[in-house]
Amino acid sequence: MIPIAPIQIRAFEPNHGMTDSKYFTTTKKGEIFELKSELNSDKKEKKKEAVKKVIASMTVGKDVSALFPDVVNCMQTDNLELKKLVYLYLMNYAKSQPDMAIMAVNTFVKDCEDSNPLIRALAVRTMGCIRVDKITEYLCEPLRKCLKDEDPYVRKTAAVCVAKLYDISSSMVEDQGFLDQLKDLLSDSNPMVVANAVAALSEINESSASGQPLVELNSATINKLLTALNECTEWGQVFILDSLANYTPKDEREAQSICERITPRLAHANAAVVLSAIKVLMKLLEILSSDSDFCATLTKKLAPPLVTLLSSEPEVQYVALRNINLIVQKRPDILKHEMKVFFVKYNDPIYVKLEKLDIMIRLANQSNIAQVLSELKEYATEVDVDFVRKAVRAIGRCAIKVEPSAERCVSTLLELIQTKVNYVVQEAIVVIKDIFRKYPNKYESIISTLCENLDTLDEPEARASMVWIIGEYAERIDNADELLDSFLEGFQDENAQVQLQLLTAVVKLFLKRPADTQELVQHVLSLATQDSDNPDLRDRGFIYWRLLSTDPAAAKEVVLADKPLISEETDLLEPTLLDELICHIASLASVYHKPPTAFVEGRSAGVRKSLPNRTIAHTNDEATTSESATVIPNQESLIGDLLSMDIGAPVAASNVSQPPQSNVDLLGGGLDILLGGPPAVETTPAVQNTGNGLLGDIFGITTQTTTMIAIPKITWLPAEKGKGLEIQGTFARRGSGVYMDMTFTNKAMQAMSAFAIQLNKNTFGMVPGAPLQVPSLPPGQTAEVSLKLSISGPIMRMEPINNLQIAIKNNVDVFYFACLVHGHTLFTEDGQLDKRVFLSTWKEIPAANEVQYTLSGIVGNADAIAAKMTANNVFTIAKRNVEGQDMLYQSLKLENNVWALLELKLTPGSSEGTLSLKSRSVEVAPMIFTAYDMIIKSSF
Amino acid sequence: MGGLLSYFRGLLGSREMRILILGLDGAGKTTILYRLQVGEVVTTIPTIGFNVEQVTYKNLKFQVWDLGGQTSIRPYWRCYYSNTDAIIYVVDSADKDRIGISKDELLYMLREEELAGSVLLVLANKQDIEGCLSVAEVHQALGLDALKNRTFQIFKTSATKGEGLDDAMNWLSNVLQSKK
Repeated sequence: MIPIAPIQIRAFEPNHGMTDSKYFTTTKKGEIFELKSELNSDKKEKKKEAVKKVIASMTVGKDVSALFPDVVNCMQTDNLELKKLVYLYLMNYAKSQPDMAIMAVNTFVKDCEDSNPLIRALAVRTMGCIRVDKITEYLCEPLRKCLKDEDPYVRKTAAVCVAKLYDISSSMVEDQGFLDQLKDLLSDSNPMVVANAVAALSEINESSASGQPLVELNSATINKLLTALNECTEWGQVFILDSLANYTPKDEREAQSICERITPRLAHANAAVVLSAIKVLMKLLEILSSDSDFCATLTKKLAPPLVTLLSSEPEVQYVALRNINLIVQKRPDILKHEMKVFFVKYNDPIYVKLEKLDIMIRLANQSNIAQVLSELKEYATEVDVDFVRKAVRAIGRCAIKVEPSAERCVSTLLELIQTKVNYVVQEAIVVIKDIFRKYPNKYESIISTLCENLDTLDEPEARASMVWIIGEYAERIDNADELLDSFLEGFQDENAQVQLQLLTAVVKLFLKRPADTQELVQHVLSLATQDSDNPDLRDRGFIYWRLLSTDPAAAKEVVLADKPLISEETDLLEPTLLDELICHIASLASVYHKPPTAFVEGRSAGVRKSLPNRTIAHTNDEATTSESATVIPNQESLIGDLLSMDIGAPVAASNVSQPPQSNVDLLGGGLDILLGGPPAVETTPAVQNTGNGLLGDIFGITTQTTTMIAIPKITWLPAEKGKGLEIQGTFARRGSGVYMDMTFTNKAMQAMSAFAIQLNKNTFGMVPGAPLQVPSLPPGQTAEVSLKLSISGPIMRMEPINNLQIAIKNNVDVFYFACLVHGHTLFTEDGQLDKRVFLSTWKEIPAANEVQYTLSGIVGNADAIAAKMTANNVFTIAKRNVEGQDMLYQSLKLENNVWALLELKLTPGSSEGTLSLKSRSVEVAPMIFTAYDMIIKSSF
Repeated sequence: MGGLLSYFRGLLGSREMRILILGLDGAGKTTILYRLQVGEVVTTIPTIGFNVEQVTYKNLKFQVWDLGGQTSIRPYWRCYYSNTDAIIYVVDSADKDRIGISKDELLYMLREEELAGSVLLVLANKQDIEGCLSVAEVHQALGLDALKNRTFQIFKTSATKGEGLDDAMNWLSNVLQSKK
């Protein structure tokens, strides 16, 4: 330690005769002091001037909070101007002087009873802006009075104040009954009051801590809102429309009538009103049956206002385009004939150009592709680099999206490559890589042209793409080894993306031409594994190495496996996000394309909007697709429900596989697991045989029950929601029992242990038949578990009825999620009714309990279908042929002893069939229909 | 010379006298203020903060500040002390339990330098309530005997009935006028 010498301070020499302390006192009293005395002046004019000076100082950022008591003392005045200034000061500084702020309360109370409505409104508005806990309680009484004020301006201001107060103290608003008062204002005679009340209510609903709306709108209030809509100001209209968007009509008729009353707003001059109206209509369209005439005309009506928005100033255009981008993804039909308005104008700002380009690609189809392509070609010759790049990329995307035009797109790209403009060439190569993948064995003849431009590529993405092309088509490129070798020279300096591609490409080359490339592959493997500090690269290198040295045949299967086809549009928003964003049209979220929770702080994450579901009668198509697991956010009530579970159940021996006892080492074993995925099974049965117990487990399910359909596992709990624990699962019926088959994967960095499971009360009374047997999971490991469910637990009706809420506990946390039990696993083996019983029961059940459903995608004749159904415990009682149609009469029994009787009408040669279901508990129908769909579409 | 000056001042009668009404919560300060201003009894709610009104009495203009008496507000009384001509200290004669607190607040206030020159008028209010302390008892309880170097007087009043206020204001205006 180095000693620090004390700093010596030399005292001032005393011989100057006087001290220097005078420099620290000033004869001037300062600005604050002057203002203070002016504020306390007797003269009203002088006082007002002083307050103005204070406000001026405040505005430029000087701290004048020291004058708080003096300014507050000027508050009681009959001069409106002075009062406004003082209020302004209060809004600014009350927070910094929370104790002193109490001195203002009495004046607020008095001002709220002033004879001048402007003063009353001003007082209540300021009160709402003062966020000081200590005085909030004193403001309730004045607020209550103002909510009932005779003047609409005061009522309107008070309504907004309730929302502000809710933000400060939600419990106070609820306890004091302000919510009810606010609700009463929804039927106010003045449309402006209605608009503000509804705005306040939606703000309160959105910020409610529980995530549940505190005030539900009903059809009566909706009616009032719709009436007020026609009479209030444009911003009031926006408030009302935004609230309407949060309302889900109870049936299609109500939805239609709301649509009809909102449609005139589409012609409004204010873009915000138009967009908000479009938002409401987009949501209501979800409820309307899509094949109705009403829907078709409504869809037509949506296009013109959107087109009109594009003739306003560029900033508004941009907002409109971002929203249109969402609308086009959700409902491409609306703007399908409007391609031309999205053509880029030379003087559009760049941000508008890029957005338009995006929408052009989304709207491109076979009928307009020629036009689009000629436009894009032109754009590719412009000067703005970003725009040109995007245009080139757009051509590639058109090629992938519109199959018949692929050839023209490719030739256009080739022309562009001929220009030799560096960035054009690079973009073109990136998209051509995707085109190759989309249309294998079609355009590879152009590879030689691409190779000519090898030297000009300097961007990682383009280099990586080119390397990928060389590796993928190594057998057609004579000098592929030379080309790759030339890349390897600068391997260390390449971007990681390029390094990874180089590694893979060389391995591909080796597998295709092993004779003359052994040296090359050894070189690249050593580069990747020894000289690199990138773990991804190193690990990939090791895996390849091990694969190549252990089993080159397997290496071929892995490295040269068929790649899944790339989809038409790679940059579509994820559907649930898209639906959420549709609910936020005309807000910042729709411009960012991010949910508000992603950029607004302090909002509870639980409140996420989603589009309404169509009611059962119209969900025929959705029923099958809507199956997905939902992760339940932690909810106190649920925890209470579930924590009674025996969470400390001892974890017994696992049924997870031991490491394979074959001659392959760990890597080999891991590889088998990789290969063991369902798609590989069909193509490489050999792998299945070498598989260990784990694989046997998975395949056992599919092989044992050759007749009972098996539904592949879906992700129930994604790793990001499960703190690293991922659970995939499905339900199956084996030996008269319902099983939950799950795959636990530990994606966290530490081991997981002490697993336990609990099911929430559910419709069928399912409870775990045994403790959950999952062993400690080291990081990266997977465990398979099959849990038998017994049907003996408490019963609670769920929505939908086959919804099952699950809690899984481990040493990290408790996770909650919900999933749908596959209907067919609940069909019992004794579901066959006697013919006569069937007939009499069918007659007994009233017609109101009959539900119809259209099955599609039917293959095979009636007998084959009957056999398929029987295998899944749907029993055919009788078969008839009426007027060329096959009628199957079937029965089934659910685990909760509910019977369902069905009549299936099949037309030979048609893939559609009509299903009629009769049951005393008709709510089981949707689940059974979904099960029918699954069974009919299954092949075995 | 001084006489001439006061003559002119009297002629102009311009300067407003600044008066503070202080006292514990519920003593009747706001009622007294409005009794003085409009001459009627108004319904009041606890003053969280202050009231300020112009009161004219015998051609004298007063700017009367009525400050809330709640414990939470008392610390802010001091913000109003400067340039005060007179303090009207209101005591609830029926509130025997808190007369001690009232005394403490009074003495604490009178120690303030800013109030050294101001006149003190004590009102033993709520004399209409039966069983209340008499003027003498209030005088005693507040320890006014010990008060030195202060122009002061105590009156018994009933603000709701309007009794005693006239005498008190009469005395106050005389004292203030002679002080000029």
